Amino acid sequence: MISIKHLSKTFKNPDGSSITVLKDVNCDIEKGEVISIIGPSGTGKSTLLRAINMLEPPTSGEIWVDGENIMAKGYRLDKMRKKMGMVFQSFNLFDHMTVLENITYAPVRLLKISEENAREEAMELLRKVGLAQKADVFPDSLSGGQKQRVAIARALAMHPDVILFDEPTSALDPTMVGEVLSVMRQLAKDGMTMLIVTHEMRFARDVSTRIFFMNEGIIYEDGTPEQIFEHPVHSATKAFVNRIQKLVYQIDSEDFDYLQIRTGLNQFFLKYNLSGKAENAYSIISEMLFEHLGGIRPLTFRITFAELSGETALDFMIEGASASPVKDPAALDGIRKKAQAIVEEPTARGFRIKILI
Amino acid sequence: MNRTIIYRILTGLAVISALPGCSNGGRETLDLKTEEDLHGLTITTSAGNYYDEKYSAYDDINIFRVSFEADGIQAVRQGMADVFVSDEVALTPEDMDRLQMKMAFRGEESFDVAFAVRKGDLALQEALNRFIEEGKADGTIDAIISHWTKGTPAPEMPAPSQVTRTGKPLRCVTAVNLAPVSFVGEGGQWMGMDADILRRFAVLGGREFQMQFQELGSAIIALSTGQCDVVSACLYVTEERQKSVDFTIPYYECHPGYFVYDGGKSSSIGFGERLKMNLVTEGRWKLIVDGLLETLKITFLSILLGTLLGAGVCAMLRSRRKWVQKTAGLYGAFIQGIPTLVLLLIMFYIILANAGLNGSVVAIITFAMCFAWSAGSIFDTSISSVPKGQTEAGLSLGFTPLRTFTGIVLPQAVKKGLPLFAGECVALLKSTSIVGYIAIQDLTRASDLIRSRTFDALIPLLVVTVLYFVLAWLIRVVLNLFLKKK
Repeated sequence: MISIKHLSKTFKNPDGSSITVLKDVNCDIEKGEVISIIGPSGTGKSTLLRAINMLEPPTSGEIWVDGENIMAKGYRLDKMRKKMGMVFQSFNLFDHMTVLENITYAPVRLLKISEENAREEAMELLRKVGLAQKADVFPDSLSGGQKQRVAIARALAMHPDVILFDEPTSALDPTMVGEVLSVMRQLAKDGMTMLIVTHEMRFARDVSTRIFFMNEGIIYEDGTPEQIFEHPVHSATKAFVNRIQKLVYQIDSEDFDYLQIRTGLNQFFLKYNLSGKAENAYSIISEMLFEHLGGIRPLTFRITFAELSGETALDFMIEGASASPVKDPAALDGIRKKAQAIVEEPTARGFRIKILI
Repeated sequence: MNRTIIYRILTGLAVISALPGCSNGGRETLDLKTEEDLHGLTITTSAGNYYDEKYSAYDDINIFRVSFEADGIQAVRQGMADVFVSDEVALTPEDMDRLQMKMAFRGEESFDVAFAVRKGDLALQEALNRFIEEGKADGTIDAIISHWTKGTPAPEMPAPSQVTRTGKPLRCVTAVNLAPVSFVGEGGQWMGMDADILRRFAVLGGREFQMQFQELGSAIIALSTGQCDVVSACLYVTEERQKSVDFTIPYYECHPGYFVYDGGKSSSIGFGERLKMNLVTEGRWKLIVDGLLETLKITFLSILLGTLLGAGVCAMLRSRRKWVQKTAGLYGAFIQGIPTLVLLLIMFYIILANAGLNGSVVAIITFAMCFAWSAGSIFDTSISSVPKGQTEAGLSLGFTPLRTFTGIVLPQAVKKGLPLFAGECVALLKSTSIVGYIAIQDLTRASDLIRSRTFDALIPLLVVTVLYFVLAWLIRVVLNLFLKKK
C-alpha cells in the first residue's frame, strides 16, 4: 500500500549548515497493519511520518502509494491526502468552527457528501469517541484529550485508507493520555491501518502488529512487538526499549525542601500513569527520610520506572557508607508490608536500600 | 448604547456653546494712532503677505501668522494678538460691529494691487493688461470694486451662455478668503471683486472660470508648476515678488487697515442665530454637504485602492524571495518616515505635477499608498497569527494549498485583523482632513470657508467634528457587520 525507498531528508539552517534527519529509510506498509514508530528523540520519527504525506517534502528517495509515485512532478497531492488522514501532536482543530463543523467541513467539500449526511455521520463518529455531547461547542472549551479525540473523528470522517498519528499524546496532560489511547486501541481493533509515532511503550507493544525502531536516521530494527521488545537484535534497540525513567534528589541537610520533592514526584506519577502507587510511595518515602534515615546526610534519593516492565523502585543511597544505617532489620518491617521487595546492598558509591513498590 | 452616544454629543454641544468662544468681556480697547504704536504688540496677518514680510524686520513686533484672515480676526478677539492688519476693506462696518472690532487707523502707504501670472506667460499677461485697461477706461472695473466695497449696483455681466467657449478653463487661485476680495458665497459660488473681475475676463475670452483657495506659498508654487494660470490675492506689486512672478498692471489701489478689539461694543448673538448664520445663510450647509461627499469619496476610494495594493504589499512581505521582502520593507520605511501631508504635497507639486490629474485623484493615490502599507502589514500579521498547524490540518485533509488558505486560514486571519483594519480606516478618514492643502474642498476645508465668511470658529468646527465622529463610528459599524457575518 505504501512503499518507501531510500528516503532522505536534509534540513538547511539559515546559517548555511545542514542537518540530515532521515538518511536512508526503506519500508513497506500493508493494509491493516498497525505500526508504531519508536526511538530516541531527534531520530526523524516525526519527519518520516510528515514526509509520507508530503507535509515535509523529502530531499531524495521514492514514496509509492497504491502504485503511484507521489513525489513525481505534477502529482496531485491533495487527492492522495484525502485517503491518508493525519492526527497531530498539537491537535490543530479549526478554532473558528464548532466541533461538528470541524468534522463535516472537509467531507462536504471534498467528498461532496450532503451537509445533512455529513452531519449524521459526524454525530456517529462523535459518539464513537465519546463526545456527542460536545458537537456544538467550539474547540476552545475542550480539554486536550477531548480535542485529540475530535481530531481523530475529523480524520475518520474522510474515510481514509490509513491514518498517520504524530505523537498524539505527547502534548496531553498525563491524566488525558488514557482516553486518547483507548480510542486508538478501538480503531486498531476495527482494522484501521495506522502509523503511530509514540513514546508510549506499553501501548506500542499491546496495540501494534509491527514496530519500527528508528535510530540515527534509519529504521534500525523492524519487527513484531515481541521481537523488538523481548528479543531485540541490536544493542541500541535493547537499551532503548529497556530504558528507565528516573527522578533524582540530592539531600544534603535536615532542611531540605520536602514539598519540592513531593511536587516533582507527583508529576512523575502522573506522567507515567503511576498514580495508584503514589500514596504508598509517599508514606514509605517520608518514613525513610524522617525516621530510619533521619540525620543521615548526605544521601541521594531517586525513583525509577522501567517503562516496559512497569517496575517502580525507590532508591536510597547513603554516600560513602559500607553498612546499613538501619541497625535493627525489624525496623523496616512496616515498610516491607507496603513494598513488593526490599534490597539492601553495599555498592562502590555507598550503601543502597532499594524498595520495589 | 446609541442613546448614550447621542446624549453625550448633546451634553458636549451644550458645554461648548456655553463657552465664551466669541466674546472677551472686560478687555481694554487699545488706543493706536500710528504704526509707531505697534512696537511691543503682537500683530496678526495672513502668512506670507506683505505685512508679514514688513513687520518681520522688527524685533519688538510679534507676528501671529494665520492661513485665513478670519482666523486673524478671531485671534484678536480671543486676545492671542493685539492688532489685525489687512486691507482696509477687509471688514465692513457691520462686520466690525458684530465682531466687536474697530479700525484703529488707516495706514499711510498705498499699494498697487495686481494679478500674478506665471513668469513668461506673456500671452495671458497682455490679455489681462488689455482687459484691465479697457475696464478702467469704461468704468466696469471701478463699478465692480465699488459694488463689493460700497454696495453700489453691479455692472452687467455678459451671460456665459452667450459666449462660445473656445479656450481652456481659466484656473485661478486666490490666497485671500475674505469678503469683499474673494470668498465663497451663495450656493458655493466664488464672489468678491477679484473673483468678479477674473470671471468677467474669462467669460469675455470664452473661457470657463475656475477658482480655488490655497495659501499664498502654495498658490505661487501652483502657478510656477502650471497647475493654475492666475493668482489673485489682493497682491501688492513689490520688487521682491516680481522676481518669481509676473504682474499685470494694477487694477486697484489699496490702503492697509489696522483693526483692534473694541470692548465698547457688545456682541449679543443667540446660539440659534449663529447656527442659522453659519449653516443656513447663503446656503452654507451645501458647502458642508459637498465637503462631506468629497471626504467620503476620497476616504472610500483610498480604502478600496489601498486595500488592493495592501494585498500586494502583504504578498511581497510573505514572499520567499529575500529581495522582494526587503523592497516591501523599504517601501514601509519610506511611507512611515514621511508625514502624510508632506507626501501629499510632493505627489501634487512634484511627482504628479504634470500628469494632468485633478487634486482628488492625487489625494486618493497618495492616501492609497499610505493605506497600502498599513493594510498590507495588518494582513501579514493577521495571516501569521494563524498557527501553521491550521494550514497543515487543511492540507492533510486533502484541500489544495489555495483552498486551505481561502477556506481555513483567511477566515481566521480576517477575524483577528478586522479590528485593526477598522482602526486604520478611521485613521485614514481623519488624515484626509489635510487635502485642503492641495485645494480640495473637503469637509474640513468647508468649515474653513464658512469660518472665513462668518468669522465664527465654533459652529463650523463643531459641525464637522460631529460629522467626522459619526463617519468614524459608521466605518466601525459597517466593518463589524462584516465580522459577524463571517
